[in-house]
Amino acid sequence: MATRALLAVISASPPRIIRIKASTFPSSSSSSLQFQRHSRIARCFSSDSNSSVLQPPDVSRLAETARISLTPSEIEECGAKIRQVIDWFGQLQQVDVNSVEPAIRAEMEGGNLREDAPETFENRESIRASIPSFDEVYLKVPKVLNKE
Amino acid sequence: MSTTLFRTIQPNHFTLLGTALFRTRRTTRHISVRCLNQTATTQEPKPSSQPRTAPKNHGSNKLDEILRDYEAVIGIETHVQLSTSTKAFCSCPNSYGSHPNTSICPVCMGLPGALPVLSSKVVDFGVRLGLALNCELSLKSKFDRKQYFYPDLPKGYQISQFDIPIASGGYVDVDIPLEFGGGHRRFGITRVHMEEDAGKLLHSDSGDYSQVDLNRAGVPLLEIVSEPDMRSGIEAAEYGSEMQRIVRYLGVSNGNMQEGSLRCDVNISIRPIGQAEFGTKVEIKNLNAFSAMSRAIDYEITRQALLYNQGQADQIVTETRLWDEGAQKTVTMRKKEGLADYRYFPEPDLPEVILAQEYVDSIRASLPELPEAKRRRYEDMGLGIQDVLFIANDVSVAEYFDEVISKGADVKSAANWLMSDIAAYLKNEELSINDVKLTPQELAELIAAIKDETISGKIGKQILFELLAKGGTVQGLIKEKDLVQITDPVEIEKMIMKVISESPKQLEQYRSGKTKLQGFFAGQVMKMSKGKANPALLNKILLEKLNAKE
Repeated sequence: MATRALLAVISASPPRIIRIKASTFPSSSSSSLQFQRHSRIARCFSSDSNSSVLQPPDVSRLAETARISLTPSEIEECGAKIRQVIDWFGQLQQVDVNSVEPAIRAEMEGGNLREDAPETFENRESIRASIPSFDEVYLKVPKVLNKE
Repeated sequence: MSTTLFRTIQPNHFTLLGTALFRTRRTTRHISVRCLNQTATTQEPKPSSQPRTAPKNHGSNKLDEILRDYEAVIGIETHVQLSTSTKAFCSCPNSYGSHPNTSICPVCMGLPGALPVLSSKVVDFGVRLGLALNCELSLKSKFDRKQYFYPDLPKGYQISQFDIPIASGGYVDVDIPLEFGGGHRRFGITRVHMEEDAGKLLHSDSGDYSQVDLNRAGVPLLEIVSEPDMRSGIEAAEYGSEMQRIVRYLGVSNGNMQEGSLRCDVNISIRPIGQAEFGTKVEIKNLNAFSAMSRAIDYEITRQALLYNQGQADQIVTETRLWDEGAQKTVTMRKKEGLADYRYFPEPDLPEVILAQEYVDSIRASLPELPEAKRRRYEDMGLGIQDVLFIANDVSVAEYFDEVISKGADVKSAANWLMSDIAAYLKNEELSINDVKLTPQELAELIAAIKDETISGKIGKQILFELLAKGGTVQGLIKEKDLVQITDPVEIEKMIMKVISESPKQLEQYRSGKTKLQGFFAGQVMKMSKGKANPALLNKILLEKLNAKE
């Protein structure tokens, strides 16, 4: 639960100004493109000593986006615990990665693709049976009009 | 898993994609203002042989006026449902129209413990489409989770590609149909990425609950995001049509807007001409035909311009509007409170997508001739643009045409037959070119037979119908029905003399000035010869005889 909360925190942290150093760019990117400096989504944890420490987590907003309801005291408790975890991981900020080419993902090998051959899952009936609101044909859900 | 959080997300040119991805107010971009000479989108289009329904331009004069002061900036997001046999991340069958909730398994249902496995076909189609759109491929790309809650999204997130899509930075060339001004346009393609579809949500009539069918959840999609290069409804509709043409040519999707295998969302803003800053962007959804797209854009341009003119430009807010086909207007979906925060992060359950250069090269080598290349080739052959657009529109028709040409048939004749009689037949019988019994070889024969005057053009049209419906050979039919044209002047003269002698009254009238009666005589001779008399020869000799006697 703590890791999921952590995930939510990191993902939802407020906009950061990204300092982009020319040397970290792959040479293929076009120099004619401009870069958007205020990017909510591209979170870049630079090891630049000017980078600020993460803002304290907005726990109520996090809980909202994760659809978890918390009482005010739980919010306080959570806030502190989340803070602790982040600070612990924050030790990684000390590492100088300026000369390291950013990787897309951790593991070395890609691949693991599947053939395009259809297979019917044998036990579909039990999947449907385990849905409380299943009504013979469809899943019955509350009427929702707007995404998030 | 926590280590993924601290990896530096590679800053690259995709962080620039403010407009398409964020659904926010546009930030200022330094783009040179394109001053396109606005070709008039005025005339009511005449019913053409174009398969695409031409949009009606109501209030078109009003639109012209508006376009003198404002420039519309339009971008399109297209979702293409791939025609693979299985879903993107599991082996459930991908077939349209199955009984609800039967194509399901723990993976696409998002049940605990299930893990996604990417289909190789999806990568193949992604590369194919990326290359066809002249994009640069990312030899290494990844998947990300786009997180939000909605009843048709079993996992609570959609597996998509956020900052490193499989293809980016491409373009597409289109031809604007003649009735809308003609001309070439090039529209930029920002990116193409792979993702999965959500299920289908149906709203019950009673209104207090909804229903979900998850057959479609996990079906592979390719999302194509265009640069905001379109400037009118016509251009947008043509872009959409070209997307449809390309995916059908490639065989990656059947591109049916009605079925939902091709979905287009339009992002549109207007700005006073000369202004560099973009205006507030509005998204329009629920477009199920290219004509609707065009009309929706025209409506929206008018709506926004009106607000500008009334000094109420601030009434234009970033929102999603739905196109109401019945009322022919866009209406607000509920206004968004704040931005959607999808909390993207790399999908931990899927490895990188790595493309070997040889793999990409082999796919590039296997691409079919694309619509743009075909259009240029047909133009070089000497066909007019109208013919070019018609034939190249459907890959099956184009292939048929190419085969007919390869048998030696005259290009212009082949085009004419296809566009007129054959097209009419296909329309009436509701068939596709692949269903007709007339083989390309036989069409070439027919054209040759008419060219060397074995049969007349009129006879040709008659047997065409039989050939289309029942097949057979041209030579066979000619023999069977004794259709060989009569080109012997002596024989024709004989018939003419007979007709003249049988119609003294008309002869009298002709001699006294009613020269139009030549047609009567010609008709009689034709009837006598069962349509086989060569018309040119017939009229020549007839004229001689009519004017010479006595």
